[in-house]
Amino acid sequence: MEERQYDLIFICRPDTPEADVDKVITTLEHVAAEKGGKIEKTEKWGRKRMAYRVAKLREGFFVYMVVRSSHGEVVKELERRLKVSEPVIKYLTVRLDEELKRQEKLKRHRERRAARRPRKAAPAPMQPSSPAPSGEPTAATS
Amino acid sequence: MADENAPQHQAPPSAPSAPASAPTGPAGGHAGGGSPGGPGGYSGGSGGMSGGPGGPRPQSGGGGRPGGPAKRGKRNFVRKKKVCRFCVDKVDYIDYKKAEILSPFIQDRGKILPRRMTGTCARHQRWLTVAIKRAQNIALLPFAAEL
Repeated sequence: MEERQYDLIFICRPDTPEADVDKVITTLEHVAAEKGGKIEKTEKWGRKRMAYRVAKLREGFFVYMVVRSSHGEVVKELERRLKVSEPVIKYLTVRLDEELKRQEKLKRHRERRAARRPRKAAPAPMQPSSPAPSGEPTAATS
Repeated sequence: MADENAPQHQAPPSAPSAPASAPTGPAGGHAGGGSPGGPGGYSGGSGGMSGGPGGPRPQSGGGGRPGGPAKRGKRNFVRKKKVCRFCVDKVDYIDYKKAEILSPFIQDRGKILPRRMTGTCARHQRWLTVAIKRAQNIALLPFAAEL
């Protein structure tokens, strides 16, 4: 099975010390490595206002990760860990590789079309220019 | 043929017949009477000929009324053509993590705006709804406004 890519976002309580957040992140990295996956990127978005109240809280500490794995066990285990870990109040995992593939495809398509367009435009000036030189010699001969 | 003859002489009779079918009918009939040209009268005549379906037709003629009475055009009000904002920017993927991109496409109460309001194309609206729903799930966008 080819490799899959996931976005993993989780929200911690805003009052958790940053050390605890780092602890969660490191445990997740260990779990992913153990199960044969990999955490490619970790971004701490920091304290942000949530759009609605979660666990009676209006703010949360957002952490964003990109996970790569070739089987779903990794995500399953990561989600289980997030569910049981104390500071985490909310999390979301989104599989993204198919959408990224689609994005790549569209991008390639667009580039190809962009590459074709000048080529189409190029012959147009060529044609008027090519008869012009041919016309001059004929005029000269006649 | 008969229609062309009708407006000049039968404009008053057509006006009384119109109000029976639709309340907006008489206004169209008056416009037809005021304008010397055929088009206004023609619509009035058609309204007189067929009662039920003719009802809406003077209405559409009435749409042109405020702009210019003598003009034939039904579409005197030119609605500005809305263009998909994502197509303009050539977006291939709508990121659910960027709430500030998605927020113009939801109402104050948190509802997703329909395509006819925003002008988004079908494909981008499809991606957009998915992105908005994901953003809602991770509390980047509200499901509903809080009171």
